Amino acid sequence: MGFIGNAIYYSFHPYQLRSIVQWKVWHNPPHERNPANETQSEKDCFKFLDLTSRSFSAVIQELHSELLMPVCVFYLVLRGLDTIEDDTSIPLETKEPLLRGFQDFLTQEGWNFTGNRKEEKDRELLVQFPCVITEFMKMKPAYQAIIKDITAKMGNGMADYCRKAELSDASVKTVEEYDEYCYYVAGLVGEGLTRLFVEAELANPALLERPHLQKSMGLFLQKTNIIRDVREDNDDKRRFWPQEIWSKHVDNFEDLFKPEFKEAALNCNSDMVLNALEHADECLFYLAGLREQSVFNFCAIPQSMAIATLELCFRNYDIFERNIKITKGDACSLMFASTQNLRVLCDRFRDLTRKIHKKNTPKDPNFLKISMVCGKIEKFIETIFPSQNAEDANRRVQGVLSEEQQKRREEDAENKSDVYFMMALMGCIVLFVAGTMMFFAWMMGARFDLAFQELLSGNFRPPAPSASAIHEDL
Amino acid sequence: MAADILDSKKVLISGGTGFVGSATVRALAARHPGCAITVIDRSPPRAEHALPKTIQYMQVEVASAEEVNRVLQIVKPNIIVHAAGIVPSVVDRFSRRLEREVWRTNVEGTRNMLSAALENDVEALVYTSSCCVVTDDLSMPYCNIDEEWPVSHTSLIYGESKAAAEALVLEADSSQMATCSLRPSVLCGEGDHQLVPTIHACIAKYETPFIIGDGQNLWDVTHVSNVADAHILAMENLMTSRTAAGEAFFIQNNEPITFRDFCLAIWSHFGHDPPFEIRIPETLAYIAGFLCEMLTWVTGTSTTLSRGSVRDACAVRYASGEKAKVILGYEARIGMEDAIRLSCEVSKTEKGPKKKNRPLSCGYQNIRDGELTIGIQEYARRIGIVLPAGR
Repeated sequence: MGFIGNAIYYSFHPYQLRSIVQWKVWHNPPHERNPANETQSEKDCFKFLDLTSRSFSAVIQELHSELLMPVCVFYLVLRGLDTIEDDTSIPLETKEPLLRGFQDFLTQEGWNFTGNRKEEKDRELLVQFPCVITEFMKMKPAYQAIIKDITAKMGNGMADYCRKAELSDASVKTVEEYDEYCYYVAGLVGEGLTRLFVEAELANPALLERPHLQKSMGLFLQKTNIIRDVREDNDDKRRFWPQEIWSKHVDNFEDLFKPEFKEAALNCNSDMVLNALEHADECLFYLAGLREQSVFNFCAIPQSMAIATLELCFRNYDIFERNIKITKGDACSLMFASTQNLRVLCDRFRDLTRKIHKKNTPKDPNFLKISMVCGKIEKFIETIFPSQNAEDANRRVQGVLSEEQQKRREEDAENKSDVYFMMALMGCIVLFVAGTMMFFAWMMGARFDLAFQELLSGNFRPPAPSASAIHEDL
Repeated sequence: MAADILDSKKVLISGGTGFVGSATVRALAARHPGCAITVIDRSPPRAEHALPKTIQYMQVEVASAEEVNRVLQIVKPNIIVHAAGIVPSVVDRFSRRLEREVWRTNVEGTRNMLSAALENDVEALVYTSSCCVVTDDLSMPYCNIDEEWPVSHTSLIYGESKAAAEALVLEADSSQMATCSLRPSVLCGEGDHQLVPTIHACIAKYETPFIIGDGQNLWDVTHVSNVADAHILAMENLMTSRTAAGEAFFIQNNEPITFRDFCLAIWSHFGHDPPFEIRIPETLAYIAGFLCEMLTWVTGTSTTLSRGSVRDACAVRYASGEKAKVILGYEARIGMEDAIRLSCEVSKTEKGPKKKNRPLSCGYQNIRDGELTIGIQEYARRIGIVLPAGR
């Protein structure tokens, strides 16, 4: 594969290539970090950011300078917490106090953790954790308080989950539990980020008064990942799809992966997508509250990727067979749309919603619900960006034109008269030239009167040469 | 609070044996059992629109000013719900054949009702209008419209008549009598013989695979009992805070759905799934509609397909429910899924769509004058009132 494979792929998918080129050429980061002025610990933090996150690293590094380090540190702290939680080689007695007390390590200079097993991929982050702590201590106290608070909440949530997993069955049962799980792993991050944005005065403080909006932001992303990764998670013996949903379609979760239950699996898939789509309109509502371009980009890119992923997964049996992803070209085109403004993003959301809607089938028990959730998203977009307004409609009914239309009409009239003038001018020139030619012909003895008479008697063609004339020629 | 105010009141519901009217009567009787409800309608109670036993019924033609006035003199209602009106069926929706008939009942009937109400000290009048006052102008899409949208006075006969009547109602609002107008979207529910049966009939006619337009146009549909709820909320409002006085409200389920999906959902209730799909561009269908109309004109028969019905099928029509939510506190109690299920269940028991061939125009003429007078006199006798001089 490699280069040749790509070359063949893109020569058959020119739009994909175009999107990639467009993104690479035209994307201007709203802010750029300046590595020359950075301290060693800052550089280390960004190095770990690159190592631990494929998707977030780039957008974080384009953030407004006020939030650049806080968000980077926030991300690394949570990643550290995650690395402890994920490591199944650490016994619960060691793990639980680590998770519950993690927020206190942030203020212990030089704290690190070397107890991870060698296979843990982000082990190095915790070994070299002092660089994160150094940066944490340099931040404004307000930011420190927010990060500490969220870390504490998440650490406790994770500890509860680990305890439950150890002592009993931790698989997700009800939809409520599913929401709660997603809240702990993603909704809390949304809360922390929102508080950081508002603290930095880069987002509308009203967002804090509507906590369900930021919760939806996190849940939408997390639920999308859970749907997409169902196969991978099942292979790793993890299961996040709530029993309340899958038990409607199959008796055992494993049946979803068996070919004989394909139809049931697809219906279960759409049930899960429906559950995730319920958050989409609130995500757009949230994005409308962001004031700064880099913050908007940071939040909008993952959201548009999520809805595109949902579109890809919706009623797609591949998710039960392998891990699927949106193509690189689509990702670039989505990033391009997500870094413009809310309007462009909403258009993208609407297109993707309609694509989902098109794949919806009446055979699905949730057909109507899915159709309505798509309608809800479209209606919401129409509320923030109306495609028509009552004023125009009023004018239309009264037959009055708006100022803009009036102006355009005048311009049109002017253009039209210009065109008429040019045509008249051309006509005059043609007449003049033709007249001159005829005059010269007449001067040289042309008999127009004879020609006219011939025409009148119906001889439109010159007389054919007679046989005798041909003889004479010979 | 609001309940007490309605409980001791007399409510007169015109068109009360019809689809919306009867649903309002049932909801009102259930919610305010203390209300004295009088139903007037030109058609007697019908089996498909059940009415509670406790109500009084009188046969009245709203187009007759004299009759309306007399009934109001007898009943002396505190509140009127004016739901009487003609809804032309799909066949006559786009033509002007029934124009005079529709105008007489919908506009003249409303005028009669309003002047009689003013004379008889009615305190509140709720008018059952329709979203068609705006959306019957088929030349433009209606995305998420609100009450600021202009009412169209040149559309189809139904929309025009409802718009004229609504204007009369809203103008009549005063400190003496508070009025408001409710504009429900297309309705479905038990007793609906227009929407669901028409869509159901497509199965038998093999019309289900055809999609006209892009199939992405959103519609509002409302379950009839939600509209009934809105009427009760409006009555309560006009009898208490009166914040709704002189206002019009769009009423719908607030769950816009594409027209195609609505049809698919209904068909799947009847166990039908289109075996394949054929997309017909709107322009092509429009031309076909025009040809059908020509055929209709030549042969004198009527077809379902016409330019108007093509426009209807491709129309985008959904409204924002904000105003009704804020002022009336209205929210749909029966969701779209239940609404469709309930409508289909009723149709199922009826064993397929029934053709309603009863001409709209001759409902009243069949009733002899004598019977009508007996109706009112009988009522007056029962409640112990001596009829004023007259017939």
